[in-house]
Amino acid sequence: MLLSLSLKLFTREVRSGYLTSMLASLILAITIVSGISLFTDRLEQALNTETEEFLGGKLKFESNQNSIKAVIEDLELEETSHMEMVLFASVIFSDDEMQLSSVKAVDNYYPLIGELELKNSAGLFKVSSNPEPGTVWMDERLQNLLLLDYGDEIFLGDAKLIFTATIIYEPDRASGNFAFAPKTIMNMLDVESTNVIQPGSRVEYNYLFNGPDEEIVKIKEKLEKEKENGDDIETLSEDTSSLGRTVDRSENFFLLGGLIAVLLSACTIGIASQRFTRRHVGYVAILKTLGMTTFQIKALYFLLFLYTTLLTLAVGLSLGWLLQSNFINLMSSYFPTELPVPSIYPLFVTCLTALICQFGFIYPHILKLLSVSPMRVLKDDIAFNQETIPVFFIGAIAFLFLLYLYTNQLTLSLIIFLGVVGFSLAGIGLIYLLLGKSETGLGASSSLKLALSELRRRKLGNSFQIFAFTIAIGLSLITFSASKNLLGSWQGSIPDDSPNNFAINITDEDKNGMESFFKENQINPTPFFPVTNATIEREEEDQELIDRNFNITWIDQLPEQNEISDGAWFSDDVINGLSISESIAERYNLKIGDKVFLKVNEEIIGTYIQSVRRVNWDSFSPNFFVIGHPSLFKNVTSNYITSFYIPTERQQVAAELMREFRTVSVFSIEELIDQVKEIIGQVTKALNSILLLTCLSAIFLAFSALQDGFSVRKHQSAILRTLGASNSLIKSSALIEFALLGVISGTLGSLLAYGGIYFIETKVFETTANFYPEIWIMGPLIGLFVVSVLCFYLINGIIKQSPKELLMR
Amino acid sequence: MILEVNKLRKEVSSGDSELTILDDVSFSLEEGQSLAITGPSGSGKSTLLGLLAGLDTATSGEIYLDEVGLHKLDEEDRAILRKEKVGFVFQSFELLPSLTALENVMLPSELKSEDNPKENAEYFLNRVGLSEREHHYPNQLSGGEQQRVAIARAFACSAKILFADEPTGNLDPKNGQVISDLLFEVNSETDNALVIVTHDLELANRCDKRIDLKLGRIVE
Ligand SMILES: Nc1ncnc2c1ncn2[C@@H]1O[C@H](COP(=O)(O)OP(=O)(O)OP(=O)(O)O)[C@@H](O)[C@H]1O
Ligand SMILES: [Mg+2]
Repeated sequence: MLLSLSLKLFTREVRSGYLTSMLASLILAITIVSGISLFTDRLEQALNTETEEFLGGKLKFESNQNSIKAVIEDLELEETSHMEMVLFASVIFSDDEMQLSSVKAVDNYYPLIGELELKNSAGLFKVSSNPEPGTVWMDERLQNLLLLDYGDEIFLGDAKLIFTATIIYEPDRASGNFAFAPKTIMNMLDVESTNVIQPGSRVEYNYLFNGPDEEIVKIKEKLEKEKENGDDIETLSEDTSSLGRTVDRSENFFLLGGLIAVLLSACTIGIASQRFTRRHVGYVAILKTLGMTTFQIKALYFLLFLYTTLLTLAVGLSLGWLLQSNFINLMSSYFPTELPVPSIYPLFVTCLTALICQFGFIYPHILKLLSVSPMRVLKDDIAFNQETIPVFFIGAIAFLFLLYLYTNQLTLSLIIFLGVVGFSLAGIGLIYLLLGKSETGLGASSSLKLALSELRRRKLGNSFQIFAFTIAIGLSLITFSASKNLLGSWQGSIPDDSPNNFAINITDEDKNGMESFFKENQINPTPFFPVTNATIEREEEDQELIDRNFNITWIDQLPEQNEISDGAWFSDDVINGLSISESIAERYNLKIGDKVFLKVNEEIIGTYIQSVRRVNWDSFSPNFFVIGHPSLFKNVTSNYITSFYIPTERQQVAAELMREFRTVSVFSIEELIDQVKEIIGQVTKALNSILLLTCLSAIFLAFSALQDGFSVRKHQSAILRTLGASNSLIKSSALIEFALLGVISGTLGSLLAYGGIYFIETKVFETTANFYPEIWIMGPLIGLFVVSVLCFYLINGIIKQSPKELLMR
Repeated sequence: MILEVNKLRKEVSSGDSELTILDDVSFSLEEGQSLAITGPSGSGKSTLLGLLAGLDTATSGEIYLDEVGLHKLDEEDRAILRKEKVGFVFQSFELLPSLTALENVMLPSELKSEDNPKENAEYFLNRVGLSEREHHYPNQLSGGEQQRVAIARAFACSAKILFADEPTGNLDPKNGQVISDLLFEVNSETDNALVIVTHDLELANRCDKRIDLKLGRIVE
């Protein structure tokens, strides 16, 4: 009985449109949450696979000597596979040409992850093995520079090897210091016969591991203990690639957008369920009169409530799936393979969100319904328990739960929560005071007077309405600013003339030649940075080693895209010291004034930390963790590195440059830049759709708040019209009233957005806050426009009906 | 004895003062009899009806409905009692707007889990002359038609006693006449007792008994 009755009621309610705003907000919330969480989940998984491939494994051990080999052989690995590779730079000779190449020698377990794509005379093919002994693979640039055909001989040190295939794609591109020179891959077994590796030559030994996470952690601990000065351990979590950060930041934005959309929807749901409750007071009274027990009524509404959940979950999840597959499609050109299927987590978050919304914002209203007295059937005006405090209280708790669910940080949630509650109380109080006292009489003589008196008369109701508009406008503006800020920082990071070529291995003589070459060809390079390899040691009792081989440079001028965050850059009277990046300072706990030793080649230089820099790693110019004062390096021999921009249509200049300076490695990052630009473009699209959805939920909220206000107005306008007020008086007074409401809430919304942006940018995203002054204009304008248009729509609906019809209801 | 009322008293607190709405009301009604409650506006008629039907509780006094002491029952038991024994017709019809006429009439029998709620409901809808309109929603029916649906609903649940609060109050005299005729006619076909609150003296005169309220007390 209950089942059929509840189904009947539910379908009728849905069909009659009474539940529309509640269902729509719930669906919207679920769509956004599931869409975003599914998308970020899959994206994260894909990126993990991607970085895994990029790294070549889950863990990489890098060393300049091979003393770790014994330790690695002693590791009792259960499910983890590992491989060894040796990296060095060497000049390669063909019959007619010679060229510096970065050589990667790999053992039989190569590659641990992914596949190589190669090309030979038969065409493209994929392999997952190392080259046969006696053969090498080379990338296309090197092949062209050496004028090689498949089957040709090359000379690498003392060894004669056969070139058999061109490397189109290799998985472990993150290999070491030599990664950017044209690449050769050879078999490990051939390394000895080349006689290239001599004591003192610069070689990097890499060990890659791939296996279950638990074992990887154990291996990491073990290696951490055994590793020596200059060794480095890399794992997946340290993804500092430009793309990784781009995606990271946009993920933050997605989550923010999702949270805001959900909060907006929660407010809408609250308002909608209040209306639902008001309408159902009569139902409950009748049902009680007919002898339904409280338990049955509870069950009835619980069922209604269950249908709502199921329906909205089904529709919302399907839409969310569509949304995320849309996003994925946008990004698909970037991901070479099928994206992994999402984990169960997004589903969990979505269902939890739906449940919190239901229990926090709908259920309390329905509980209130149960207390309706059946006497209402005899006396229509019997007061319905208007106790709103507990309802608000439960709503607030649900709000806090949602915050926690999305931020996963208790303090942050509490701060936002208290901020919002404080702002709400202050805001509602302020509006209440602002509206002032109402005079006697409705002031129905002119529309302006009527509007003002209306505003004042329903002070409390209006305060809530303004508050709802304020939240809607403010949160939309926050989302708008956040997306604008994000886009701005990306666009700023890749200017059109950002360097698209790097040159390394530049000797002193090359440097002068290249400088004049650039001048002749009107190319503007970044400075020539001297580079050498150094280790840093802390000068303390324990002589703690700072475990890393740094590429170090020395220069007078602070490079562009660098910003001093602590201490001061070298000045005329400071002729010593190091400037380190924030990440290094944090990782090794180095502070201004700390004394350190630099070990360069065999030389030991005593110095100290002079400044800490914030480095923009997104910029495509040479960046350095450590910069020393030039006076320290007078006796150090070094190479130089520089970067420069060559427009696409002048690419032959690059070829010329390479031909003229044979030992210099010039490589183009044009493709990388294009890729990043493309991804930014695609993320922007995703970003805009989130912004759009957020605005949509804001409009829903504004609409339900208005609709709520209009139910009171309906009756009154009917009476006014019966008494002879003209339609235009009612229309224009309502428009004026709501335009005013809109402007007030728009202004308050801007205020909210300002506070919110400041908080989010500085405290959550930990960047400097960027304010957009246009917000001050946008807020009130949006308020004016949106509220007036919605009001116009609603008032027209009222005026179409005859007063009799309205009074009959 | 279907209804027996002893020294009924109802007070409500309005602000900080206690207001007595009903005082010292006693009467009784035999099975199958009809009773009219009359009196000026504000004299406590609706309040009394609410107490008799178990919608509200009295401050003191006793009510026996079909030998059951209403004053001893809690809200849940009163709900069950209403379901089993009581039917209602109200001034403002009180139909569920999202159910059709037929579904509204079926509702009480469904609540009682009776065997064939549909046939029963169709019979009574036909009896009040609305079989053509059974699939219409309340807002598609006129006031008089809605009240006829309400009457069908009241009788369809085979109650022992029927309460009506100004059943003709919202209707024009002609429709009012139709409704009161229907009430008495259908009532005579069953052996329900009938309690009607009304301003309409003609209607009151058709009842077997009448009590007149003034300021919450019965005047002789
Ligand atoms: N909950 C309440 N609080 C305060 N006063 C009440 C309450 N309920 C009823 N009253 C008062 O009790 C008196 C009786 O009300 P009741 O509705 O029973 O009168 P009535 O005889 O049905 O009048 P009418 O013919 O106008 O329907 C009225 O004066 C009313 O104002
Ligand atoms: Mg009354």
